Amino acid sequence: MFKPASFAWLFAHELKLLWRNSILLRTSQHVLIPVILVAVLFQATALGIADILRGQSLSLPVLILIANVNLIFLGGLMLSRSLSLAVDVLYSRGDADFLLASPIPPSRILAVRMLGVAASTGAPWLLLAGVMANALAVFGHPAALTGYLAVGLAAILAATAAFFLVVFITARLPPATARRISQSLALIMGLIIFAAGQMPRFLPHQMVKNIYLTFLPTPTNITQPIWLPARAALGQPLPLTGAILITIAFFMIVLSIRAKSFATGMISAAALSHRIPASTGTGQFRDNPFAAATLKNLRLIIRFPGLITQTIYRSLTLVPALIILSGRTSVHGSPAIAIPLLVFLTGQLALFFVSIIIGGEQAPDLLASSPAGMSTGKQAAYAAAGYATFIVMAIPIFGVLLSQPGRLSALLAGMAGVAASNLILGEKYPIPLYRADFGKTRIGTIFGLIIGVAISSIWGLATWLLVAPNPWAPLG
Amino acid sequence: MNALTVRGLTKSFSTPVINNLNLTIAPGEIYALLGPNGAGKTTTLRMIAGLLKPDAGTIDIFNTSILTHPQEAKAMLAWLPDEPLLYDKLSALEYLEFVAGLWRIPPAIAAARAETLLETLGLWQQRHQRCENFSRGMKQKTILAGALIHAPRLLILDEPLTGLDAAAARLVKTLLQAQAAEGAAIIITTHILDTAERLATRIGILSGGTLLAEGSLAELQAKASRGADATLEDIFLHLTTNV
Repeated sequence: MFKPASFAWLFAHELKLLWRNSILLRTSQHVLIPVILVAVLFQATALGIADILRGQSLSLPVLILIANVNLIFLGGLMLSRSLSLAVDVLYSRGDADFLLASPIPPSRILAVRMLGVAASTGAPWLLLAGVMANALAVFGHPAALTGYLAVGLAAILAATAAFFLVVFITARLPPATARRISQSLALIMGLIIFAAGQMPRFLPHQMVKNIYLTFLPTPTNITQPIWLPARAALGQPLPLTGAILITIAFFMIVLSIRAKSFATGMISAAALSHRIPASTGTGQFRDNPFAAATLKNLRLIIRFPGLITQTIYRSLTLVPALIILSGRTSVHGSPAIAIPLLVFLTGQLALFFVSIIIGGEQAPDLLASSPAGMSTGKQAAYAAAGYATFIVMAIPIFGVLLSQPGRLSALLAGMAGVAASNLILGEKYPIPLYRADFGKTRIGTIFGLIIGVAISSIWGLATWLLVAPNPWAPLG
Repeated sequence: MNALTVRGLTKSFSTPVINNLNLTIAPGEIYALLGPNGAGKTTTLRMIAGLLKPDAGTIDIFNTSILTHPQEAKAMLAWLPDEPLLYDKLSALEYLEFVAGLWRIPPAIAAARAETLLETLGLWQQRHQRCENFSRGMKQKTILAGALIHAPRLLILDEPLTGLDAAAARLVKTLLQAQAAEGAAIIITTHILDTAERLATRIGILSGGTLLAEGSLAELQAKASRGADATLEDIFLHLTTNV
């Protein structure tokens, strides 16, 4: 009789799947070259920064305060990302039945999934922190290499906390509600952390200084547990050992109390698609291929899992930009800053909606074998995605009409331009999305994502030049 | 006038797949194209459906070339691949709305046909359910309804009985025979030789991209020098593997 797969084997398998599913690998190989070039550039920049820093002499309390603040922000962002990935693990992997029907105990599956999420979350930060740690080590601070370990521990803690929360929510709520709440939690967490990071920009300099001084550790309280993360990150042996033990303990506790709920959650999440209520209606037959294909595409958009959360997410990502820009409203004229951001958002939404259609196209041969021209499918995709974008943007357009009618034509021109550009782009290079709820592969490329952001930015900038009273004023 | 006329059809990918294939099917005829895996059956059907361009040869559907007049030719045919061409997120009725729209069926006619087909195929009660909740058999029946809603004059079916239970398979066979009786031509591939034997009026055996034999069961028995007791399976194995 065969023994069930060991933890090491299962973890290696998980890492292999993560690697093969990573955006970089799903895209063509040539993307790796610019990534390597960027890494080299980052390392060179880090060496430059480290060279400047070695001339500074910061006291230990200041270093600890800086490290702690950064670790808190890093942990918050990691938790946000881990929550999102934990939802994916429960709802989108499509291998629940397969794994849970195997002799592998659920606790081992949960352990591997938590570490897999930690690896996914920690990898980009390890790269960023790593180049800085390397640079500091080169300039005579080998203890900085502990940064790798600190980021790794933070990622494991974030992943463990994320699974603790998501499994807790999934065990108590219906699967669809649980997914929505967990995704919203991830989004809110990310936004709060970002907004908190921007707070110093809006507070008087003296107040910020006073806050820092209030929290600055003193020789008497520096050994308190609150400073443990920073001291561990700075390579102090005892705090570092403590941090490792705490991480392992938390991981093991969550594993022991959540494994059963995790298995139940995976099964109920996997069964979600079978409980979709039937639609009603008597049929909307049309003798027009374009109308029929457009209606089909609109249905694909409306039924895309996570449509509302992802649309809100794309809209809310502009909040930080709005916060940053609003700090300079006196220079640029406050209402004008909304126009380029709305243009940018239009571009991102158009790309998102057309990618849903392309990703949800499960029967391309049907259109190809029909007498409708091949261009019909393309035109219907543009029409449906454009219409969906317009529906979302209707209220902001109305708002601009009421508040700044003079800028409406510039806004509409920018929106039309960016939507057209990104619809064409998305039809050719859709962004990575889940094709369907379960067991389906992703499609899309990081190339589409990057170019889409660039196109949205260019159109946003062009509109900015049209509407801003003083467009060339510095933003910083 | 033939429903389908294929002359000198040739296709290669890295190696030759179809080699100088000639085929004619008359209206009202059910033609079973048999062959071992990799014989070139699906490639042949995809070329006939206008989804793949041949390297050489002609394909005429009711005297209209699918290579030079694809839209006119496609208006007369329906294509059912071995993997269901369905949208998980659409209901059965919504799928039929989409297909009817592609073939420009007037709404009143399309609605009436959809109701008849869904009732005949036992899907009327599930017409509002999304296809993602369907079994393989229900999916197969839904795409068959989609293929029939525009009353095609030529049906191209690649393994249409895969995944169907006995009752559903019989229902589909009855439906296909009814279509043929009304004058539609049907070309079908299947690995279920009993089905081919009972359903088809003519059978073609393809191997290595070449049509080895063609005719009714009696004609094939004679060509293969097998007695009247020989089954289609005997003939098929004799021709394709020399057993």
